[in-house]
Amino acid sequence: MTTVIPFGPQHPVLPEPVSLKLEIDNDVVVGVLPSLGYVHRGLEKFIDTKDYNQTMYICERICGICSGIHGITYSRAVEKLFDVEVPERAQYLRVINSELCRIHSHLLWLGLFADGFGFESLFYECWKYREDVLDLLERFTGNRVIHSMSKVGGASRDLTKEQIDQILKTLDDLEPKVKNIEKVFVNNYTVKKRLVGLGVMSKQLAYEAGTAGPTLRGSGNAIDVRNTADWDIYRDLGFKPAVAKEGDCYGRTKVRIDEIYESIKLVRNAISKLPNGEIETRVKGFPTGEAVMRAEQPRGEVVYYVKGKGTKNLERLKVRTPTFANIPSLLLMLPGVKLADVPIVVLTIDPCISCTER
Amino acid sequence: MLDNVIQNVTDIKSMPEVLKTVEGLKNDGYRYVTMICLKANEGHELIYIFEKDDKLKHLRYFVKPGEKPKSVSGIYLCALLIENEYQDLFGLTFEGLAIDYKGHLYLTPNSPKTPLA
Repeated sequence: MTTVIPFGPQHPVLPEPVSLKLEIDNDVVVGVLPSLGYVHRGLEKFIDTKDYNQTMYICERICGICSGIHGITYSRAVEKLFDVEVPERAQYLRVINSELCRIHSHLLWLGLFADGFGFESLFYECWKYREDVLDLLERFTGNRVIHSMSKVGGASRDLTKEQIDQILKTLDDLEPKVKNIEKVFVNNYTVKKRLVGLGVMSKQLAYEAGTAGPTLRGSGNAIDVRNTADWDIYRDLGFKPAVAKEGDCYGRTKVRIDEIYESIKLVRNAISKLPNGEIETRVKGFPTGEAVMRAEQPRGEVVYYVKGKGTKNLERLKVRTPTFANIPSLLLMLPGVKLADVPIVVLTIDPCISCTER
Repeated sequence: MLDNVIQNVTDIKSMPEVLKTVEGLKNDGYRYVTMICLKANEGHELIYIFEKDDKLKHLRYFVKPGEKPKSVSGIYLCALLIENEYQDLFGLTFEGLAIDYKGHLYLTPNSPKTPLA
């Protein structure tokens, strides 16, 4: 006989409200029904009252963790409509902003994850290191989470020589700290016991389920939007996607740790190649036509669709966020998992519900 | 300025053809990305987006007023959330949804009805 147990919307491991109705048979999950709607704000409707420049600030507020990449992706989608070339320096500044966002997001997740399996001191360590990156972002954008670094046509802020030195110094200090926490996540006996073989998705299943980001790459799929033609700049910076073959909670954790190192490398390379020059191309007129733009957020691929009709407002903005793509994978990963392990599996998709519901 | 910068769009005329094409794309190894819904000529326009080898492919289908489009969640399970979202926000009804939230994925009984319609 099965029992239905609600998981969430308020749960110690969930930073945001989402509910899963778990059908349990003898302590094992046999069915899952996700339930959303706790933080739906109607932001895609809200833009009816904003012009296309103001909409950038709405997009940044979809999420407090990947706000910078939301702003950048929206800007790039609208720039496609205008067919404008953004100055090279602005493109590099966007990469630096994006990768610093990814580092702090992954450190946030690692902390939450450690907390999820009861490793409090590891949680403190991860969040302590994350603060260094947030301090850096605050110094160079003025804010911890909403950076407004990007604008349609380029970047809204430049980096000074002192700020660049601060970034490099912080990353030099951060790298050995990440190596220390990596040892625990990857090698600790107890942690491995909790993660290895749990919430397994095969390479094929993860691909067919439409998953994104570390959830997709943790199952052996080397798919990362930074590796596509839309983001040539990443290829110039020597980007390589982080992939793990395990397909379980352990694999998804390793991908995120490897991505921190990759992001540190990308920021260093972007700084070393940072060209001089303008940071903005003036954009005039109103957007017409439709465009799709993708980017790789910390949680995976985000898709922006914009449609302009020659007025100051966009006719339609649609955002498909990575958690939206990853939630259906819980229907595949959770059956067969013990009730006590459900929080661990749910956390490994790094659920961001503000993004999902917008 | 470009009129339309979406590349690789296929216009599809009938719902059975949509299902057949989507099934063909799955067999060809395409990944389901998302679907866009727009208001168009009293009806709605659906743009299905797929990806393979880092290239996007788009299918465009016009939903006539009153028409109930078929769900593709039987082919790609992950389509169920976006189809339910459009039931909430645009008032569309997708037939054959793998999980049907009946217009209450996001919205409660007291919420504004079909806010994007």
